[in-house]
Amino acid sequence: MDVSEEKIEVIKQTAERIRKDCLWMSTRAGTGHLGPALSLAEILATLYIGILKLDPQNPRWSDRDRLILSKGHGCLALYSILSQVGFFERRHLKDFCSRFDTVLPGHPEMKLPGVEANTGSLGHGIAIGMGMALAAHLDKKEYKVFVVTGDGELQEGSNWEAAMAAAHYKLYNLVVVVDRNRLQLGDFTENISRLEPLAEKWSSFGWGVKVVDGHDVRELLLAFEEIPFVKNQPSVVIANTIKGKGLKIAENKVEWHYKVLTRKQYEDLKNELALEELCDE
Amino acid sequence: MSELKKSTRTSFAEALLEVGEKNSNVVVVAADSASRYGDFVKRFPERSFNVGIAEQTMVGVAAGLALSGKIPAVTSYANFLAFRAIEQVRVDVATANLNVKMIGTDTGFSSAWLGFTHLALEDVAAVRALPNIVIIDPADAMEAYSATKAMFDYIGPVYMRLRGRKDEPVIFTKEDKFEIGKGRVLVEGKDVLIVACGGALYDSLKAAEILRLKGIYATVVNMATVRPVDKKLLTELTSYLDKVVTVEHHNITGGLGSAVAEFLAEKGSGVKFLRMGVKDRFGTAGSEEMLKRHFGLDSGAIAETVENFIKEIS
Repeated sequence: MDVSEEKIEVIKQTAERIRKDCLWMSTRAGTGHLGPALSLAEILATLYIGILKLDPQNPRWSDRDRLILSKGHGCLALYSILSQVGFFERRHLKDFCSRFDTVLPGHPEMKLPGVEANTGSLGHGIAIGMGMALAAHLDKKEYKVFVVTGDGELQEGSNWEAAMAAAHYKLYNLVVVVDRNRLQLGDFTENISRLEPLAEKWSSFGWGVKVVDGHDVRELLLAFEEIPFVKNQPSVVIANTIKGKGLKIAENKVEWHYKVLTRKQYEDLKNELALEELCDE
Repeated sequence: MSELKKSTRTSFAEALLEVGEKNSNVVVVAADSASRYGDFVKRFPERSFNVGIAEQTMVGVAAGLALSGKIPAVTSYANFLAFRAIEQVRVDVATANLNVKMIGTDTGFSSAWLGFTHLALEDVAAVRALPNIVIIDPADAMEAYSATKAMFDYIGPVYMRLRGRKDEPVIFTKEDKFEIGKGRVLVEGKDVLIVACGGALYDSLKAAEILRLKGIYATVVNMATVRPVDKKLLTELTSYLDKVVTVEHHNITGGLGSAVAEFLAEKGSGVKFLRMGVKDRFGTAGSEEMLKRHFGLDSGAIAETVENFIKEIS
């Protein structure tokens, strides 16, 4: 498989842009799920830049690939990437949680172009994605459906209902990406309700499984290019990540699930991380 | 009323097949409940999905199909659709106003001996608490047929209540028109207004006959659409009828009685009002007749209750 260095570099830069946007939006708003957004940066950058067939000028293009952010609380990262690829103008990022009835609320809604499903309650995305994947078969279309879930999210039983049914329907055009940052709201997943052996769980449900470093763009690209991993089976990419990745004080810290920088902390980090001006207006 | 008997579920399946023949976007998703779709599944196997005993997934899959331009139906025992999957109904379907048709079966007392887990007496309350969803409770198989067609003509989420017993009495003919949001006066009388829906309509009509023999003349309205309730008709009728009784095979909280009460109270209509239905209790195992007797909802009990209600306030 040919993965060009240039492509990898563009994706890496996009991921860095996601991180900066997440910090900028959340600090300005004084709210947001920062940790769970930062772990998503390479996953979303790789998919939106390197994999998904999209037409941001025509968000409802019927042949597009679909991506559902089932872990809707990771929306800071989603908003950044959607603006970067051109679904809406970057100036709207300042509306994140800071304007009544904003199109960039604390969990994503379809009123924002590029958002494929309302999410925020965990355990919904795979079933919705399954419906879209079935529709592709009915319409004889080639598009793929990607569902990005959290790892703690997988404690919701509805995921496994859908996983079972999707394998039964041989939905080779359905892909789940698990952001395996090992932390959930209250503690490490393995301390609360053990997920491991996670890869084995998925494969026993009839899914093709690949485990990758979720911050390694090359690994992510290679995995996504290989989909479906097994003929006539849905695929799952378990992407091992670090919650809060890129913000040292937040990395791998449970309290950063729903916590943001103070303006002072942001100013102090501005030079080191080359962050943008908060620019009040 | 004829002596005919027919299941509302059977009629739904007949109408679904016709709708499916005309519109290739109509698809069905079952949660091990495919039999409720009747011949549709045989006729259109490629448009029929079954996710197993997994109501949440059924609704989520339907949402995904609707987001891709399909018109999906989902069905299950009403309790498992309206309670087990209510969060998917809320987040996946209702908030996005998706064109999903949700059919809860075995409602009211029709699941009989299956006991309280299956007796659906609170489903309307659950669904009615969510914005955007039209709620239809057809009174008989003929109305279930025309309501099914109307439901697919309408664009947006609908919750329809069915029963599914062979011995459901037939009230209407196939020619009777059904329109979403329109109540219909079936009997006119000067003394009291009875508003009923679903399985309660038949006994309400019977009760009106009993009352007539006693010199009490009831107006009987079929309010098959519980949401939006027909405010225009209620306004018209309460301009000259000052006693209103609602009858439903559902808890008196959150269903038809609540919908009518809320409207009339806020309007300041000042009518005397009585809700008949299950009074904040769970169901229990019994035949449909036993259950109706137990909850005071057979025709004799309705007549007696209405008569006493009129006497007490006169």
